[in-house]
Amino acid sequence: MAKIENGRPSVDMGSIRTLNSSHIEDESSLGSDSEINGFTSERQTDRYGFIGGAQQYSEESAQDVPPEVLRQREVKWLDMLSHWDKWMLKRFNKVRLRCQKGIPPALRGRAWLYLSGGKVKREQNQGKFQELDSQPGDPKWLDVIEKDLHRQFPFHEMFVSRGGHGQQDLFRVLKAYTLYKPEEGYCQAQAPIAAVLLMHMPAEDAFWGLVQICEKYLPGYYSPGLEAIQLDGEILFALLRRVSPIAFRHLEKHKIDPVLYMTEWFMCAFSRTLPWASVLRVWDMFLCDGVKIIFRVGLVLLKCTLGTREKLKTCQGLYETMELLRAIDPRYMQEGFLVREILEVPVTARDIEREHHTQIKRWKKNRGELNFKPAPRMHGARIIMLAEPPRRQDLKQNPTIVLEVPEPPQQLNKGKEERKSKKKKSIKKPPTIEEIPNPYPLPTDPSPPSSNPPAPPPDSSSVAPETPPETKMDSNNQQTAPPTDPPAANEPALQESTQSLSSSEQDTYL
Amino acid sequence: MGSDEAYNFVFKVVLIGESGVGKSNLLSRFTKNEFNHDSRTTIGVEFSTRTVQLNSFTIKAQIWDTAGLERYRAITSAYYRGAVGALLVYDITKHLTYESVERWLKELYDHADPHMVVMLVGNKTDLESERSVPTEEAKDFAEKKGLLFLETSALESTNVESAFNTVLEEIHKKVSSKEVIRGSIKAVTLNSSRPEDEEEKKPCCRNI
Repeated sequence: MAKIENGRPSVDMGSIRTLNSSHIEDESSLGSDSEINGFTSERQTDRYGFIGGAQQYSEESAQDVPPEVLRQREVKWLDMLSHWDKWMLKRFNKVRLRCQKGIPPALRGRAWLYLSGGKVKREQNQGKFQELDSQPGDPKWLDVIEKDLHRQFPFHEMFVSRGGHGQQDLFRVLKAYTLYKPEEGYCQAQAPIAAVLLMHMPAEDAFWGLVQICEKYLPGYYSPGLEAIQLDGEILFALLRRVSPIAFRHLEKHKIDPVLYMTEWFMCAFSRTLPWASVLRVWDMFLCDGVKIIFRVGLVLLKCTLGTREKLKTCQGLYETMELLRAIDPRYMQEGFLVREILEVPVTARDIEREHHTQIKRWKKNRGELNFKPAPRMHGARIIMLAEPPRRQDLKQNPTIVLEVPEPPQQLNKGKEERKSKKKKSIKKPPTIEEIPNPYPLPTDPSPPSSNPPAPPPDSSSVAPETPPETKMDSNNQQTAPPTDPPAANEPALQESTQSLSSSEQDTYL
Repeated sequence: MGSDEAYNFVFKVVLIGESGVGKSNLLSRFTKNEFNHDSRTTIGVEFSTRTVQLNSFTIKAQIWDTAGLERYRAITSAYYRGAVGALLVYDITKHLTYESVERWLKELYDHADPHMVVMLVGNKTDLESERSVPTEEAKDFAEKKGLLFLETSALESTNVESAFNTVLEEIHKKVSSKEVIRGSIKAVTLNSSRPEDEEEKKPCCRNI
């Protein structure tokens, strides 16, 4: 039974017990990570890995994208990833649009790594993470990091188990960062950031993602003195005046310092505030367009919560206001609503930079020089890439996923890039697969496929983008037939999706 | 948190101390009677309230909790504003957390009211076998510095009520004796009216 704790349904504490790690000798041999900590199958894990309804998962709020659309998007993303520099330099608006629609879950980790520039960083620093990983690290930092390992997303299956793989990787990533940037060391808010990344990619990738976020997107956030976050608090407040004068006046009247409400929001990029589906959408946009997204989310939440006199009736003072801001109405945080609102906020990167100048001047006047002057902030993936142009080999995907896209004859004049490129699937197929007739023949395919390399329908779920080429080599090929959907039911849908591959008109899901 | 009962006073109390000593669990134990081995790292500010009866008075305790890590001290002045009491917490099994108490005291007096009621709290007495800070030593130190002192266990719920109630009582004593508490104290108004009363003297409005 979910209790409401500060407005968020909290997991029932009674039946959750974490075993002392001293009782566990060889954890990997005992059941699943979740079972070790007393979680049984009664506790449902949601699609994101959260247990017992933590992080506000609910069926009603989940926005489901139809599978056909997802498959289309995956194809588009795979194409973008294969030609990343071209897309980023010449068609960035399209990249942005696709980020706004939500990156398909199967490709999110990879896309994030590319967007953030982490992929390039990794390729240009091969062996670096291993080097840092193998070093002992400063005991002072290790001590604090260790204290925090079981305190990040403790209700996520990846991190629930003390000493489990998730916590181990979190340790490795955070430790590596303190060695990479010893003058910065460790700041506690880096742990949730690293944890979110780890939910989507392996430790080395997550490390470089963290580096990029700490250096390019949110420089100075995690540095000693926390000056950057305080400045951003002032910027947020200043921007609020334009976006919601009522909310602004209320906060001003009650002298509610921005750090009292925006610190966790900004330092954790909302990963501890929003329902998980919304977190992922925000991060998709944040890694594409930079910190202005974070500002916009903050402005939306403030406006929705405090933006009318009606709403303000219930908060007469500082404390009541803060309580309200910590228990934001779930409607305002729901994925669809939130994304639409974010896109409407009239705040640009330039607005932020301008306000930044103003606030720095004010700071210097009132508080003297800044102690920690971080590098200038980069407002998004494209700028990051321009600042650190990749070599061709830096962008090479590993493994290489390439698709062959069949060309329906009538659609030739639609001429979108994704259909022009000829791509081949590099997953090695055992020879006998050619003998399996394609159960989903396309109207334009000869049936059965003959001497050409078999081109499975683009939206068939047997295209598992993440399958590395070395698996399934010699294994039974019968089993690699497409998953069982009754072909009859699928055929009309298949035809539709083939036609719309080239156009985004049907993809209106936001 | 059902805070629409009438109350006479609102006292803001802050929890300070090194990361991991148990501040968040002291808060949750006192205000919700909950304890969690895996409570999330505090980032930013957490808070909760509980209303207690002290003699014939109804006191609403507003307890604030924040990150203990050193670098977060930079942003705590907003956090201290209006606080009339503090629990300075260390972990009895980690001597280092006790050693930094002096620094925390300095931090406190730099930002907050010098008349503030401060209690030194040695937490985690359930781990007696791993103790590294002798009770007597801490007690003497507290006395020397004019601090209250108690050892607690948020896990076992030992002395938690006592710690908070003692602090609240001391605050009340100071307030009643009209000892000046600078800045904060229009916060404390004798108020027998209901919270929805539109009168100027609403304690919550003034508790800034």
